[in-house]
Parts: sequence; C-alpha cells; structure tokens
Amino acid sequence: MGCLMAQAAPKAQLGFLGVVNVAGTGFVGGLLVTNQLGRPLEFQCTTPVRPNRTQEILYGPTLTSFVCAELIGKTLYERLQVKPQLIVCDQPEMLVLRSVIALPVALILPKSPRTEEGTIRAGAHQLRLPGDFGSDLELVTEIAKSFPGDADLTEPLERVREALQETLRAGAAA
Amino acid sequence: MGDHQLASHLQEGFLLLNESSADSPIQVMKTSLALAAPGIHITGMNSALQRPPVVSAEAKTLLNTAGFVPTWRPSWGKVRTFGLTFPAGIEFIPVAPAIPVAEGATELKEIGPETPVEEMAGGPPTLPTKRTKIRPPQDALSVQDRLFFLLQPPLENWLKGQELIMPFEPFQYQYEGIAWLFANKAALLADEMGLGKTMQMITALRLLLRAGQVRRVLLVCPKPLIPNWQREFKTWAEEIPVTTVEGDGFRRNLTWRMPGAHVLLANYEVVVRDYQAMIAEAVKNGHDLRDGLGRRTEVECQTFIDGEPASTTGLAQPEAPCPLPRFDLVVLDEAQRTKNRDSLTSKTIRSIPRGRSVCLTGTPIENRPEEMSSLFEFMGVIPPGANPDIRQLSQLSREFILRRTKDLVMKDMPPRLDRDEIIELSPAQRIAYDAAEKEGIMRLNDMGDEVSIQNVFELVLRLKQISNYDPLTQESSKLERLQADMEEIAASGGKAILFSQWTKTIDWLEERMRPYGCLVYHGGIPTPKREPILTKFKNDPDSHIILMSYGTGAVGLNLQFAGYVFLYDRWWNPAVEDQAINRAHRIGCKSQVIVSKFICKDTIEERIDKVLNEKRDMFHRVLGEGDNTNASLSLNAGEIFGLFNMKARTPKGNKSIRPAAPAKDAA
Repeated sequence: MGCLMAQAAPKAQLGFLGVVNVAGTGFVGGLLVTNQLGRPLEFQCTTPVRPNRTQEILYGPTLTSFVCAELIGKTLYERLQVKPQLIVCDQPEMLVLRSVIALPVALILPKSPRTEEGTIRAGAHQLRLPGDFGSDLELVTEIAKSFPGDADLTEPLERVREALQETLRAGAAA
Repeated sequence: MGDHQLASHLQEGFLLLNESSADSPIQVMKTSLALAAPGIHITGMNSALQRPPVVSAEAKTLLNTAGFVPTWRPSWGKVRTFGLTFPAGIEFIPVAPAIPVAEGATELKEIGPETPVEEMAGGPPTLPTKRTKIRPPQDALSVQDRLFFLLQPPLENWLKGQELIMPFEPFQYQYEGIAWLFANKAALLADEMGLGKTMQMITALRLLLRAGQVRRVLLVCPKPLIPNWQREFKTWAEEIPVTTVEGDGFRRNLTWRMPGAHVLLANYEVVVRDYQAMIAEAVKNGHDLRDGLGRRTEVECQTFIDGEPASTTGLAQPEAPCPLPRFDLVVLDEAQRTKNRDSLTSKTIRSIPRGRSVCLTGTPIENRPEEMSSLFEFMGVIPPGANPDIRQLSQLSREFILRRTKDLVMKDMPPRLDRDEIIELSPAQRIAYDAAEKEGIMRLNDMGDEVSIQNVFELVLRLKQISNYDPLTQESSKLERLQADMEEIAASGGKAILFSQWTKTIDWLEERMRPYGCLVYHGGIPTPKREPILTKFKNDPDSHIILMSYGTGAVGLNLQFAGYVFLYDRWWNPAVEDQAINRAHRIGCKSQVIVSKFICKDTIEERIDKVLNEKRDMFHRVLGEGDNTNASLSLNAGEIFGLFNMKARTPKGNKSIRPAAPAKDAA
C-alpha cells in the first residue's frame, strides 16, 4: 500500500482481511491493521478452522461465507486492540462480515478499465460495499478520496497471505 | 390362512406362496425351504446347516410418530487466535519543502509521483511491479519475529510513503541493501566504493527509527568524514536530527548522555578518548565491565586514575547497570579502521554497549583475510578472541557480508576508462634519476648485510620523488603532460581531481596549476576550511582542478561531477587508489570518468606497477570471483629488494613493507 492516504488524517487506519483455505488443514484467517503509510500496527491471525462433514453438508454453499466472515472475520476484529476505520478484503464472501460488526467492509473488485456503477474508486482499484448499509457509502467515499491514484490496496493482502503461510509452516514444523 | 396354519407350513419346511384358498385372500405357493447342501467338507456343523430355520411371525401395529429424531445445533468451537502488535516508531516532524539539491545531484525527483485520481481517464494506473520485500534474517526463529519482517511493506512503497524527496530513486540493489540492513542485527555492508553505502545506511536507519527498532544510534567515522555524513543526512533524512559529539570534555559528556538525541555522530578518536575515560570511571566505581554485547571479556583500559593504571577487572557487580552510554545500533564507517583487533581503537569500540552492530567499508580486507576477524568480533558473530580459518571466514562472509561490485550492479553506469600514461623523464630528470639510483644502489651494496628494508624503501621514495619532478631544475615531464591535458579539460569546462602521495608535491603543483583555478585539499588544511573548498570546486566554473592527498581525499567524498582523475604518483595498494578514483566514479556521475595513471618509463614506478599487477592477478579472493579491489597488494621485503635486483637480507623476507597508512599524509 504505497503511500496510501499520504494526505489523510494522521490517525487513519485500515484493516486488511484475508482467509486462505488449505486442503486438509482448514480455513486460516489474518487481519492486518496498517497506518496511513501502509506500515503495520497490529496483526491477528487464527489457528486453522476445519468444518466437519456434518457442517459441510448442512451449511452447503453458505459454509465458506460463514466461516470466513462470521466466524474468522468477526473473531479477528474483536481481538484487535488497534481498531481500523475500514476493513478491506478481496473475497466476495467476506462482505457478510458487515452484518456482524459495526464497521464498513469493502471488497476490492478485479481491475477494470471503467468504473462500474455502485462502486467507489479508491487508489488503483474499485471498491464495492454490501447493500443495506447506506451510510457506509458516504464514509468510505470520504476515506477513499484521500488515496493517491496509484495506491495499491491489494499489496497488504499479499502480506497477510504470506504471513498466514508462514504461520502454517511454523505450525507444521512445531 | 391363519397364523397357526402358516406356522405349521413353516414347521414343515415349506413356505406357501400365491396359493389361493377359499378362506384366505393370500395367494400362497409352496416352495421348499430345504437348504442346498453346501459343497463343504463334512464336519460337525453340516447337520446344523441343513436344519430348517425356526421362523415365527406376529402382528405389529404401525407407529403413529417417529420414535428417534436426531437434533443438531450449529455450534462451533472457539476460534483461537494469536497476534502481534508492532512497536511504535519515532515520528519525526516532516520537513518543509525547500530541500536543497544533494551533492552531485542536479535534479530532485520524488519517488513514484502520485497520480491524481482525476487524471486516470484511461483507466486505472499500472501498479508498480518492482517490490523489495524485507526478508526475515536467519536468526529470527520465532513466528512473531518472522512475521514482524514479513508484514513490513515493500521498501518501494514504504519509502514512497515517507513524504521524502529523494535526489534520485534508489537502484534495485540499493533497495536490497536497505532491506538487508533493516533485517540484520549484525551486518557488514561492503559494497564497492561509490555504490552508495552511506545512502543505504541512512535510509535503513530512517526506517529502523520509524519502525521502533532503534531509538539511539551511534555513528562512528573518521574525522574528515563528519561533514560528509552531516551533509548526507541532510539530503536523505533531513527530518532526523543528528548530533555531533564535539567540543570540550564537559560538552561531549553531556552529549553522550543526552536522552533526546536519536543519532550521535562521532569520530574514532573522540569515541576512544571519551569511552576510555568512562571505562576508567566505571572501573574505579567497581563495575564489572563486559564487552558491548554483554560478553565477558577483557575491557581495555589505558587510563590512569590517581596516577595508578586502572585495573581492567573491577569488582563483580553483575546487577549494576552498565555505566557506559548504550546504543541500540552502532555503525562503524570505514570500519577497516578497526581491522587490528588488539588496537585500543578496536577494543574500545567493542566495549560500547549496543544492540546492533553494523560495519561499512569498501575494503573489508586491505591486506590479510584475518582482518575480517576483528570486524566479525565487533559484530558479535564470533566469540571474543576467536580466530576463524579461511573456510570459516568465507562462510561467515556469505552470511554476514553484503558486497556488490560496480561490474555486478552498475551496468548502466558510465564507464571508467583507465589509461596508463607512460611518460619519458625529461633529460634533467633522467640525469638526476640515474645518478640517484646509481648512488643509492652503491650505498646499499656497501652496507652489505647491514642493509635494511627501510634503507631500500628510502631509496624507492627518493626515486619516486624525482619521477614527480627534479628538485634541482624543477623539470617535470609529468607536469608537462598534466598541463597539456588540463588545457583541454579547462577549455571544455571539465573538472579533474589529482592525487599525490606527498603534500610537498601538491604544494609544488599548486603554483603551476593556478591558471586552472587550482584548489588544494590535504591533511594540512584545517577541517573547518575543507568543506568550503569542496563547495567551491563544485560550484565555481573557473575551478577545474583540485589537488588531493591520498590520505585525506581518498575516502568518503562525493565528487562525481569530476570527469577526470589523475594519479600523479601511485599509491602502494590499488585498493587505496580505487578509493581515490571512486570519489569521481560513483553514483550520480553523468559521464565516463577518465583515469590517468602517470608512470615514468624505465623508472621504479614502472617496476612497482608491474609487481602490483602480477600480484593482483594472483590474489586469493576471499570475497568471490571477479572481486579485485581487495587484493593483498602491499609489497613484501623480498619484492622491495627485488626492485633493485637485490635479495632480501633479512631472515623475515616476507615482512610487509609499505608507507604509513594513507590517513597520515606524507610530507
């Protein structure tokens, strides 16, 4: 996140949420909070969450969304000591998180040359917000205005995933 | 067919199926229940197998409700988490825009200028592809430690977010060097001269301060380089206040213990003097001193207390806090100054309490690979007093030394063109030279076995001086060549640096170079006057040449605006010559640098040059193939005698002989 929010309020903090599903291990999630310069302030991650067969059958297609957002995302957010002003993710199923926490959650859309309707331009990306949270739109638009045009919002998520791989490696080695 | 009847049929071994009768709607048909005899051996079980089963039937009413209903609630176990918070770094007050142009830089460029959102009509901007990640060091074993490094942003992004105006964007290898310095607590950055060690160190320092990894830093450098570091800090990290340890003893004592000073800058002599005094005081007060990394070893104390030598072993008070000023990071610039591990400087430097130890030098080995042991001991990667062999040194080098050469990283840098200017002596010089040589050799021969290396060496120096100019007639063919070259350089507006071993030669040349706006920079110039000389040389269009001594001008100066370097006479070690040349041939130089090495034909200079070239080819390379700047090239006694076709008269024929270190200018 290069000079993200370089002109924003000094205390601007963003959360970057990523979850990986490792075959045979389960879901592992991480939430990185950075300051306006992209420097890390806090990182929280989970141990693997592995649904059993009954849970897989009964949750059906909603399983991933439930585990990623309501189970992992919510837990990580509650553990944070440094609370962000916005949580950014790049997995659509994470948007459900907004319904269980009182904080805007934004999805980074794949790169597209044109601005899609109902999205917010933020840095080099477009953000989509979940419906039914009208006030979020105004808030996120305001935050996004301070992003430089080339701010890369996906970079911190790469850091999150790399950190999760590291914790998995360390867990396997332990 | 009633139940009783059905049972009797079963008893008979038949099951009636589909047989109609008047009193039963069930169609019953008789079929035999006799079991086929299995084709098995006759055993006691056979009769049992053939016996018809006993079957009974009874009527059951159907259930109205399900008897067992499994229930499930979506309960999930508690999700376990772990995390880390990052230490708060020091936030410096941003500096207002007017940032001066860096030395040698002609234009300012902000790294990755921001693209306003409004300007992105053609779609989203292309994201930068070049990213330098900070990798966890090998000694980071815990997950938390490793995550600390992995979660740092790529350096390109991090620096871009510092609101920093850079003279130019760092090269990729510099980003890698910064990341390496950030991650490693023990590091020796040994990039070849001119690749930007200072800038890499300052930027790493800046990031370490902001990431909360260090709060107090001591930077030790040779005295002449203090202004250079001050200037570089102003260029690369203007927001970081740098405090120079200087002034009288009282003032320095205050500076050492000043809590708000994040970066202290001190020269080696001041550090040794002040720490010796503090060590003596600590010993007097009964402190049990260890080395700066907390290892129990001898702490050198050469200070006298009340007329008595201070003991090096005080009373054991392990709980007492160390009374010496402590630093989170100690950086040694030109760290080869501490190559002799038994010198007072080395011992004192090692006693500075510290968390991290970084060495900077372009020449980690000047003469012997063992010199690295002293640096490694300071860095804490070998135990005190350890003597690793060549193989171990090589292994340690791979782990703790980062060295890049220009050939490796600066493919786009303008070339350095070396020209050996073979010059005939003028007639008067030749006469003087031949006479001096003949007389000198005769005198050496007359001395027989009494002849010493020093006697031979004195003759070498005398002949070299005559090669520079004839003291009697003042004739100098080198001067003629220099004047011819300078005519051309001055006419084209170029600038040249001239190096000589002798301040006497420099003073002699000064008068003759006046038409070219000559400036002089050597050890005889007081330190406060040196910086203005360099500024004038850079900015004055009429100043085309600066005369420097190897000792004072060879290290640390940025003169990349000069396109010509003259080595009026040759130093004994090409590593020192390279340091001198790299004042001009370094990052930021816009055009090729032409290096003219003056060698008088059929003189001692030609013979020395030949020996040094042969040695360069034969040097055992500890730091890898292609690295030819650290050759052990000092002449030994045998080689010095060999210059006059003489055999060494001393049993210690391989004793190295050379002049005093270049830091001390020859008269």
